[in-house]
Amino acid sequence: MRVKSDAAVWKFFRNILIACGLALILFPLYLVVINSFKSLEEAGRNFFALPSTLRPDNFNELFTNSNYWVFLRNSLKITVISVALILLLVPSVSYAVARNFERKYYKTIYFYLLMGLFIPSQVIMLPVTKMMTRLNLLNHEGLIVLYAAFSLTQGVFLFVNYIRGLPYEIEESAQIDGCGVFQTYVRIVLPLVKPMISTLLIMDTLWIWNDFMLPLLILNRTKNIWTLPLFQYNFKTEYSFNYTLAFSAYLLAMLPMLIIYCLGQKYIIKGLTAGSVKG
Amino acid sequence: MNRTKKTKGIPGKYVFFSFTVIPVVLYTFFYVVSVINGVKYSFTNWDGMSQEYDFVGFKNYIQLLKNPNFWNSMKTTLNYSIRLVAGVILTSLLLAVSLNSLKRFRTLLKSVFFVPAMIGGVTIALIWDQLFYRMVPLIGQALGIERLSQSLMMTGKTALPAVVFVQTWQAVAMPTVIFIAGLQQIPDEQYESAKIDGATAFQRFRYITMPWLLPTVTVNLVLTVKQGFTSFDYPYALTGGGPVRATEVIGILIYNDAFKNLRFSAANAEACILFVMVAVFSLTQLKLTSKGGADG
Repeated sequence: MRVKSDAAVWKFFRNILIACGLALILFPLYLVVINSFKSLEEAGRNFFALPSTLRPDNFNELFTNSNYWVFLRNSLKITVISVALILLLVPSVSYAVARNFERKYYKTIYFYLLMGLFIPSQVIMLPVTKMMTRLNLLNHEGLIVLYAAFSLTQGVFLFVNYIRGLPYEIEESAQIDGCGVFQTYVRIVLPLVKPMISTLLIMDTLWIWNDFMLPLLILNRTKNIWTLPLFQYNFKTEYSFNYTLAFSAYLLAMLPMLIIYCLGQKYIIKGLTAGSVKG
Repeated sequence: MNRTKKTKGIPGKYVFFSFTVIPVVLYTFFYVVSVINGVKYSFTNWDGMSQEYDFVGFKNYIQLLKNPNFWNSMKTTLNYSIRLVAGVILTSLLLAVSLNSLKRFRTLLKSVFFVPAMIGGVTIALIWDQLFYRMVPLIGQALGIERLSQSLMMTGKTALPAVVFVQTWQAVAMPTVIFIAGLQQIPDEQYESAKIDGATAFQRFRYITMPWLLPTVTVNLVLTVKQGFTSFDYPYALTGGGPVRATEVIGILIYNDAFKNLRFSAANAEACILFVMVAVFSLTQLKLTSKGGADG
């Protein structure tokens, strides 16, 4: 009897907990969506009610007067090129390290790259800004190079461990058949590490797309090179009085990622978890 | 031993070597040199702007130890991290156990609870900033609670918990999913036999779930502690460190000192102290567990 009532009590609390959690997650998003369609005056009258009409004025305003498309393009460009660069560099260097681990040079590289695990981003933030200023790299190219350099630690950590767990025989037989190292890498190894590639792709896309600190340091001076997170942050100071317009801006900034999430949530959750629990 | 002897073209060892060149150069130039520069600046009197500067030894560090703002920031960082870790671990554990025990809608609800992980810290901070400003006072009025009648960001006492709350709102998503993955590794038979032996739900949690989940707890702890120590986006976008330094965690102190207060070399010294803190923490964690998190 006791066990049964225990279970019932647990189920009751569990359902309440999940319901509260859902409300806490969805209610703010609901408020953002509904208020982005309201005029200031209507939102002031009732903040919580559905909008009386689907009034697109805020969005029109953003599309025509705020350079939203420019910022979207900047964010897209930086994310796509950085991630492409990362996917080009990380698997190949990891392959070299993983398959030559008994050699001093490669082992040293591995631990050298892993040092980054111990260094918080705040340590780099000041000197890197000075360096990029000196090099005249306070622009998209500079930011992209930084993302490529800063992604190495975690990427190599994940990939080297993953590749070392793969059987070596397949590569060996490819080499007996006359494949060189480069061919073996492209034809045999890359297909084998596909799961890790998708993990890295998801992790770094999300990081770079949503990153605030590096764009703040590198791009904040010139308005037309801002990314979406910078645009939103600066929006706060520029339009602080017009909060329904701000909500529309936040909604537009979130939307691309949320749409991608809806399409592939299963893979995204799996990829991100694999990335943080080590492949 | 030479595996690539028989193949034509470029010998394998050169290919392998060429794979390492660009990453090592990039990492050295932009990452390692930066760290070294940061350490170097911390021993100078550079304000970040002037052409010349001198080495001053440990002067910045000694002055920091005497600086109440620095100690305030350390205390705030610790306070912030403890609240964040406690909030995130407890909430995500509870959520994971709850979601995992569902028979229907489990996958769907898991996806909904993961949505915050998709949204950037700044966006979340700005949304909550508006909600604190517009919504919370309305609730305060309706319930007649004096304290909620103004934005929580305005008073020193409520600002820190409010910022932690906003970061928790997002930071719970990932540990929850990791906990669920950990829970699914526990064999069902253990629960079945415990049930037959008459163990209560709590006993089953205490003696089966907890021991199995311990490695996962470690991973999530490490992830969240680092997030706490290095928090930046949330306090920066919500309060900028205020009111009256109430939310000035070390990341904010470093940024403000370097770019607003022209204390560039002192800010580098602060960063180096944070570096030592994180390094000690990471090494301890490596020592204690062979299986660590991979959070950058």
